Amino acid sequence: MTNEFDDKLDRAARQLATEIAPERDLWPDIEAAMVEPRRSRWTPMFAQAAAVVLLVGASSAITYVTVKNDNAPVVSIEPELVFEQTSFGANYNLGPGFQDARNSLRAELDVELLRLSPEARANIQENLDLIHTAISEINAVLEKEPENVLLQQKLLRAYREELTLLSRVGGLTRNVTTRNDI
Amino acid sequence: MEALLTMAGSDYSQVMANADTDIAVDERASILKAQRSDARAFETLYRLHVDKIYGLCLRMTGNVSEAEDCTQEAFIQAWKKMAKFRGDSAFATWLHRIAVNAVLGRIRKSKREQDRIQAVSEVEPVRVATGDTGELRDLAKAIDRLPERARHVFVLNAVYGYSHEEAAGMLGIAAGTSKAQLHRARRLLSQQLEEQGFTA
Repeated sequence: MTNEFDDKLDRAARQLATEIAPERDLWPDIEAAMVEPRRSRWTPMFAQAAAVVLLVGASSAITYVTVKNDNAPVVSIEPELVFEQTSFGANYNLGPGFQDARNSLRAELDVELLRLSPEARANIQENLDLIHTAISEINAVLEKEPENVLLQQKLLRAYREELTLLSRVGGLTRNVTTRNDI
Repeated sequence: MEALLTMAGSDYSQVMANADTDIAVDERASILKAQRSDARAFETLYRLHVDKIYGLCLRMTGNVSEAEDCTQEAFIQAWKKMAKFRGDSAFATWLHRIAVNAVLGRIRKSKREQDRIQAVSEVEPVRVATGDTGELRDLAKAIDRLPERARHVFVLNAVYGYSHEEAAGMLGIAAGTSKAQLHRARRLLSQQLEEQGFTA
C-alpha cells in the first residue's frame, strides 16, 4: 500500500454518494411509531412502590383509629399479692424451711389482715407492695445477670423482710385478739 | 434552467444561495415546531434529511433492509429527543449522531440477526442502489465487505469527512482506535481493489 494509493482511495471515497434516497417511503412507519400511545408508566416498580405506600397508609390509619378509640378511662387493677419464685441465680436456693414458713404465712395473711384496722391494713399492704416491687425488679435484673452476687444478696434480704413483715402481721393480730378476748 | 433564469434577469448562483437560505429558515422553523410536537413539521425535517441519514445507514450497514430499519429508528429517536436539540451543532450532524447510535444499537441488540444477514450477504452479491458507477461501485462493494469496525470508521472518516475525534466520539471508541481501524480498512481495501486494477 502506498501513499499514492491512499490518496486515490481518499479521493474516490469523497466521490461516493453521501445522500441516497431509500427505495421506499419510510415515513408512514415512522409516523405510525410517533403516534403510538406512550407506554404506560405503571411499571412493576411503580406498582410495588404504590403497594408499599398503601400498606404503610393502611397500617397507620388502623393504628390511628385504634389509639383514637382507646379513650376509655384506664382501669387500674390492684395486683393480687403475688409471691415471687423463691429461688434465684445458680448458687442460691431458698431452703424448704423458708418456703414452708412463707406459704403458711401467705395462707394466713388475708385472714389476719381482716382483724386489723383499715389504717394498719393499708400500711401493711403498702409495705408489702414496696417489698414485692423490689423483689420483681431485682429478679428482672438477675435474669440478665444471674451471677451478680450483690443482687442475689439484695433479693435474699428482700425475701427476709417480707417474711419478717408477714410474721409481724400474725403477731399483731394475735395481740389484738388477745386484747379483745380480755 | 440557468439560461432561463438569466433571461429572467436573475443571477443563478444568487437564486441558489437564496434557496439554501430558504431551506435553512424552513429547517429552523420546522425544528421549533417539531419541538412543540408538530408532526407535520417533523415530516418536513424528515424529507429534508432522509437521504443523508439513509445514505449513512446504508454505507455503515451495507444492507438495504438494515439501512431502512436504522433510518426509521433514527428518526423515531430524533422525534423523541427533539426537545433536547439545542442547536449547538447543525441539525444534520445531530441526526447523524443519532443514526450512528441506531446502527450500533441495532448491531448490539440483534447480533444474531446481524450474523444471519452477514452470512446472506456473503453468499449473495450486495445490490445496493447507491448511484455509484464504474470503479466507485467497486469501491462501495469493497467497503461493504470490510469488517464492521473498519467499515464504520472508513465511512465516517473517509466518506463523510469526520475527524478521528468526531468519528471516535460517535462510535464510542478512542481516537487512536479510529486511526488504527482506518489503517486496517485501507489495507484491506487495497488488497481487494488492486486486484481489480483500481485506478480511480
